[in-house]
Amino acid sequence: MKALIFHAEKCVGCKLCHLACSAQNEQVFNPTLARLVITSCFDRDGLVTEGRVCDLCQKCVEACPVDAITVKNGRLSFSEELCTDCSLCVDICPNDVIVDKDRGIGVCVQCRTCANWCPTEALTFEEVSK
Amino acid sequence: MAYTGKVLRVNLNTGSAKTEELNKQWADEYLGGKGLAIKYLYEELQPGVDPWSEDNKLILMTGPLTGTIAPNSGKLAVAAKSPATGTILDCSIGGHFAPQLKYAGYDAVIIEGKAKMPVYLYIEDDKVELRSAEALWGQGAHETEHTIAESLGDVVTLAIGQAGENLLPIACISSELYRQAGRGGIGSVMGSKNLKAISVRGTGGLDAPDIRKVSTALNKIKKEDTMDDENMWAYSDGTPMIVELSQEAGILPTRNFQDGSFEGYKKIDSEAVKGVLKAKKACFACPLACGNYVETGKTMVEGPEYETIALCSSNCGIDDLEALIEFNRLCDDYCLDTISAGSTVAFAMELTEKGIHDFGIRFGDVEKFLQMPGLMSRREGVGADLADGVAAVAEKYGGEDFAMHVKKLEIPGYEPRGSFGMGLAYGTADRGACHLRAWPPPLEAFGDMDPFTSEGKAEMVVEMQDDNAVKFSAIFCDFWALSTERMAEVLSLFIGREITADELTEIGERVYNLSRLFNEREGFDRKDDYLPKRIYNDKLLSGKTEGKLMPLEEYEKMLSEYYKIRGWDEDGKITEAKKKELGL
Repeated sequence: MKALIFHAEKCVGCKLCHLACSAQNEQVFNPTLARLVITSCFDRDGLVTEGRVCDLCQKCVEACPVDAITVKNGRLSFSEELCTDCSLCVDICPNDVIVDKDRGIGVCVQCRTCANWCPTEALTFEEVSK
Repeated sequence: MAYTGKVLRVNLNTGSAKTEELNKQWADEYLGGKGLAIKYLYEELQPGVDPWSEDNKLILMTGPLTGTIAPNSGKLAVAAKSPATGTILDCSIGGHFAPQLKYAGYDAVIIEGKAKMPVYLYIEDDKVELRSAEALWGQGAHETEHTIAESLGDVVTLAIGQAGENLLPIACISSELYRQAGRGGIGSVMGSKNLKAISVRGTGGLDAPDIRKVSTALNKIKKEDTMDDENMWAYSDGTPMIVELSQEAGILPTRNFQDGSFEGYKKIDSEAVKGVLKAKKACFACPLACGNYVETGKTMVEGPEYETIALCSSNCGIDDLEALIEFNRLCDDYCLDTISAGSTVAFAMELTEKGIHDFGIRFGDVEKFLQMPGLMSRREGVGADLADGVAAVAEKYGGEDFAMHVKKLEIPGYEPRGSFGMGLAYGTADRGACHLRAWPPPLEAFGDMDPFTSEGKAEMVVEMQDDNAVKFSAIFCDFWALSTERMAEVLSLFIGREITADELTEIGERVYNLSRLFNEREGFDRKDDYLPKRIYNDKLLSGKTEGKLMPLEEYEKMLSEYYKIRGWDEDGKITEAKKKELGL
């Protein structure tokens, strides 16, 4: 299976990935609704660039009590109809990249829109063992 | 949606804030950013207002593309009447503030009055608070940002340092430490209002019709146009690339514009900067990432940009890159505009060397050079005399013939004697000597046009000024060299109607004329559109421009031609016919 990989050394902090994700998956430009979290900010010691993305660990799939999150063709799939808003997936995600919405959740479905927008190839899709 | 339709008006006298509707007609006529901010100021400021009084207003203005995925649309216009020049003043700052303001629900913030005690403004969606900044007063902008972040988390902040607090007309505003609204003393407008910082966090989003389709179209434009070879210098080098171009063309300001080439340029050029480069850094929604974050082991900065290198390095006779980086960092922290600060220090160096007044600093004196930002910002010692910029130093100590300013704004990093069009652009820029209103060197000094003639320059400058006026109103970053046709194509995706390139050119002309009208109302005319006498009288000393000057009669010719093309009279005043044509 291929999962998203973040390369901090290439990231310039432009947030185009956040915008692309929220536009593709939530039909709105809103970085807080992106299913990944990339930050590039200065603290007292200098520039700190960090990223959290879905690495397809599938802990959310295992945690979901109603099978609302499943794996189909190597990608995560979410069913709003089955979801009961229990938020167990949100709590268990080790990378904290599942968006908790008023109704349902937003999980990275490996649509690759973020990587397609990234101007510096800081986001790539690569084979992961699972 | 292109506009949120809401303006936040904050009154510091009463400590109150209210939301009002954006003036839709003005948004149609002036788009946003520069143009719309100037329109509000023109309508709301009384002529003759003291820029440091509570009656001046500070406007933060976004544009119709802010917060969207449109490439290079993340900048913010910050505008007020300028304390340095008395003209209209709009600055453009990058980083991530503008989109947060839009996500919070506002197209603009208008700040009026003066707080009794130091405060900072905190905006989070509908929540608007004025918080005490007494503990922050006296701190640099960097410490201010860090302290606010520790208290409020991931907000984006505009802050001033000691230079703004102490009302230096060369004080800027910093954001994310190293991004600046740089010129004309905009930082001192905040200082005069006892406003230390503005922090914002927005959690809302922006809709767009057919958002997936629009995004796909913009990704194609981003890849094929924004990131084409014409613009990728920003990523590969950033603005330090210009050092070598200016050196070769003989327009690199050197030792207070006595020369146009600098023997030590290889120590401060793009290759030198790459030697200490740690990471590239972008503003919001920008794929070009011009920012160079550098570290030397002793100091760090996101920079130095070309203007800083030109004015603070070659123009001060300093060829020490680490010293330049530290000077840059200090200026960003104290919030000094590096163009004005570098130019003022260089002027003091020449006055000292010529024996006109001893400021105790000479060209190339690194140790004294590094003391200047602190001394100036705190108005201490020799810094007290230099704190008010070149024009004020000349008024007090002499040297007016080589005081390098126009309308009291210090000249940026392109020598007019080797780029006649740049000279005209400085003379006719709306906020005093500025390289962002029109930037002719790529066509003349670095390009195919003869740089040493007035022929064809007036027409070129008018066209560039109008193009940039609409570009800064839309708002696009100037580092994407996009056509007005492309601007129209991108804007049409968001504003709910087809807008044409011709309409945009007209908006650009309207914006530029309105800024001129503002200045005319303040008493500016032809007499104020001249360059320092050094440009007409002193020959450059070496390099490609050795022996060159720009004769006054050549400049007069360009200026008259420029007014004629603009539809202004011989005195530089906008004719009634032109006002009518543009709906002013």
